[in-house]
Amino acid sequence: MGIIRASKLIYDYIRRDEEDHVEEVSRAIDELTLDIRKGDFVAVLGHNGSGKSTFAKQLNGILLPTDGTVWISGMDTRDDSHIWDIRKTAGMVFQNPDNQIIGNIVEEDVGFGPENLGVPTDEIWKRVDESLEAVGMTAYRLKSPNKLSGGQKQRVAIAGIMAMKPECIILDEPTAMLDPNGRREVIATLHELNRREHITVLLITHYMEEAIDADRVIVMDDGRLVMDGTPREVFSRVKELKAYRLDVPQVTELAWELKQAGLELSDGILTMDELMKQLLPVMKKRFPEQVRLEGE
Amino acid sequence: MIRDITLGQYYPVDSVLHRMDPRTKLFGTLVFIVSLFLADNLLGYAAATVFLFGAIRLSKVPFPFMVRGLKAILVILLISVSFNLFLTPGRVIFQIGFLKLTWEGVRMAGFMAVRLIYLVIGSSVMTLTTTPNQLTDGLEKSLGFLNKVGVPVHEVSMMMSIALRFIPILVEETDKIMKAQMARGADFESGNLIQKAKSMVPLLVPLFISAFRRATDLAMAMEARCYHGGAGRTKMKPLKYAGRDRSAYGVYAVYMIIIIGTRFI
Amino acid sequence: MSIRAEHLNYIYGAGTVYEQYALRDVNFEIEDGQFIGLIGHTGSGKSTLIQHLNGLLRASSGALYYNGENIYQDGYDMKALRSKVGLVFQYPEHQLFEVDVFSDVCFGPKNQGLGKEEVEERAREALKQVGLEERFWEQSPFELSGGQKRRVAIAGVLAMRPEVLILDEPTAGLDPRGRDEILDEIAQLHRERHMTIILVSHSMEDVARYADRIMVMNHGEKVFDASPKEVFRHYRELEKIGLAAPQITYIVHNLREHGVPIADDITTVEEAKHAILALLEPEGRTSGQV
Repeated sequence: MGIIRASKLIYDYIRRDEEDHVEEVSRAIDELTLDIRKGDFVAVLGHNGSGKSTFAKQLNGILLPTDGTVWISGMDTRDDSHIWDIRKTAGMVFQNPDNQIIGNIVEEDVGFGPENLGVPTDEIWKRVDESLEAVGMTAYRLKSPNKLSGGQKQRVAIAGIMAMKPECIILDEPTAMLDPNGRREVIATLHELNRREHITVLLITHYMEEAIDADRVIVMDDGRLVMDGTPREVFSRVKELKAYRLDVPQVTELAWELKQAGLELSDGILTMDELMKQLLPVMKKRFPEQVRLEGE
Repeated sequence: MIRDITLGQYYPVDSVLHRMDPRTKLFGTLVFIVSLFLADNLLGYAAATVFLFGAIRLSKVPFPFMVRGLKAILVILLISVSFNLFLTPGRVIFQIGFLKLTWEGVRMAGFMAVRLIYLVIGSSVMTLTTTPNQLTDGLEKSLGFLNKVGVPVHEVSMMMSIALRFIPILVEETDKIMKAQMARGADFESGNLIQKAKSMVPLLVPLFISAFRRATDLAMAMEARCYHGGAGRTKMKPLKYAGRDRSAYGVYAVYMIIIIGTRFI
Repeated sequence: MSIRAEHLNYIYGAGTVYEQYALRDVNFEIEDGQFIGLIGHTGSGKSTLIQHLNGLLRASSGALYYNGENIYQDGYDMKALRSKVGLVFQYPEHQLFEVDVFSDVCFGPKNQGLGKEEVEERAREALKQVGLEERFWEQSPFELSGGQKRRVAIAGVLAMRPEVLILDEPTAGLDPRGRDEILDEIAQLHRERHMTIILVSHSMEDVARYADRIMVMNHGEKVFDASPKEVFRHYRELEKIGLAAPQITYIVHNLREHGVPIADDITTVEEAKHAILALLEPEGRTSGQV
């Protein structure tokens, strides 16, 4: 049984008029069934309004299912008595770095979660030290969050979650407001945590490049789960992705275009090295004298 | 840059006063303010002067920073001094029309001026040596007893501390929205009062919406980090009295005895 | 008709210990109808620069000419300048304030002092230009989706009929299709209305695809100013200042390093595809036919 499980999850946004009559119901999540294995790095892709943010909020009990069930580490999110355990187990990082930092000093912000959990003071300090170290922000511990870059703020937010000792981190478009360097920082930090601390990562994003190193990629559209597989499997279906208002990384797109034109390349090439390995032999056939293969 | 504005006027150096528990400093300030109103002769003011300058020395904050706060009260100071000077009945020194300068008036005005100036400097000593956060913490702990009568002390102090974090962000946001509307031809300067008030709408509406959005986001982020009010919460930096705080309370006691003593001389 | 900057300097906190050059000796001339990509990492001075172009910030020293007139001379009409040089800030939807979409778009032209009919005519035109369907016009802007809000905000600037349109990261936070749609509309304005476009972007891929000239800022200085092909040829120098070239550029350079005779100035997927296929064509057939 996985750490995150959803079974026939349905969520409706209900708009009511002034007299509390239902005015409009819009289905944000439509019969979603999913099982996420502990320790996996999972990327969730989907265009704006595809329901992926709503899904994220289901995972730590900020929103509760209209129908169906979500279990976090076996705990039903609708079970009131476990709500703090659920939130502690599945920590959540949001999009806007400014709107989730509470402390006026970096280290105090990281300590906020453990304080809420009633962790003893000495243990809080230990956790704050470890969490800041894990995201590489120890040098900034006494700084004001206002003086940090976007990427640094998001790393502080991640440290704040780590200090609650979660098993899983859910990130709702954590890089949408960052510049390319900030994005790289955050994604590298997440992979590091996933690898070293075996934290399950559920990364919601619409930057395709951020999904290529994931263990698993899930695509959502219209509240439904429409694609699910390894990055290679998902990114080889270029046309389908584009139909879901998504894209593929440039390398993948080029490889796909070349393959469509008749070149013998495999499906779902994700990195430049892969492309080189397959394209250079083709080139070598055409220019035998000039082209050197990798390692020649 | 606009983000660099610091709230309050904390002056970062390492001194005994900086390291002191904020509650001790809050109480000390209170003691000092009370003493200013108790002192009624030169001797009392001399004691207050020693107390104040002793604290300034201990704080290691340069003196010019201490008197900066006086600028703000200059007008009040002048008005109350002149009222006291000319409107106190007593032995007349000279008289112009109904304005009489009296010996008693000079004495009253002098004490009044010293009182006001010391009051401002005294509170500056506290704000210069205490970060706004420590101050909120200190207030929360000192006023904890109000919890029993239903005042949500923890919540209020949490709100203060969040406000401290978001004021610089909102100031920057105001600047940004203002510029964006100016780029659409908005004019925030010219026109009469009504026109000016009207021209604020394109600034205030987005600002409110943004503040609301931030508040909703923040509430969600706090909930996601298991915030559920003050109950059962532990502290990363609990306030703890140290030796220096106990000595300080000793000093306060001696000081109060001296001040009260001077009233009987 | 042009924008010309001469020795622009902008100093934050002049005379204090915090003194810092946000712009340092920046010179350039932008001809009418160009599509310029302005790139640089966060804090490189690009946002400061664009705020100079419509007079929101005033240079500490140097001169800025719009259509040959120095905008810092006495009596220069800044308000008129701002309607000719339209500036769309980052996350422009955060400045929407009116009760309905249409009134919000009218705000700019109304400030220009135009008559009601002209104002509405311009608002309609602008909303059509950004491709927002008429059924949304009477709605509150706050009920729209993120991408739609962004369009309304861009329309709010377009309604002033600017000659130059500056956009600070207009695609931030949008999904891939949303990004393409906004950029395509901007490209269309450029193509059909011959509007001068200055696009501030972090995406080298976007800049490579749309711009015909790239200016690169670093620490307040302009470090490159040339065609995309020329600028991205210096991808190693770009990396040193925290930037990169489009992924395609790296592929092409890698191929060249292995002896493949491919041109070194390819920056888009389309170009790379054609070039590679052309290379693989059997001899005798003309290249480029696929």
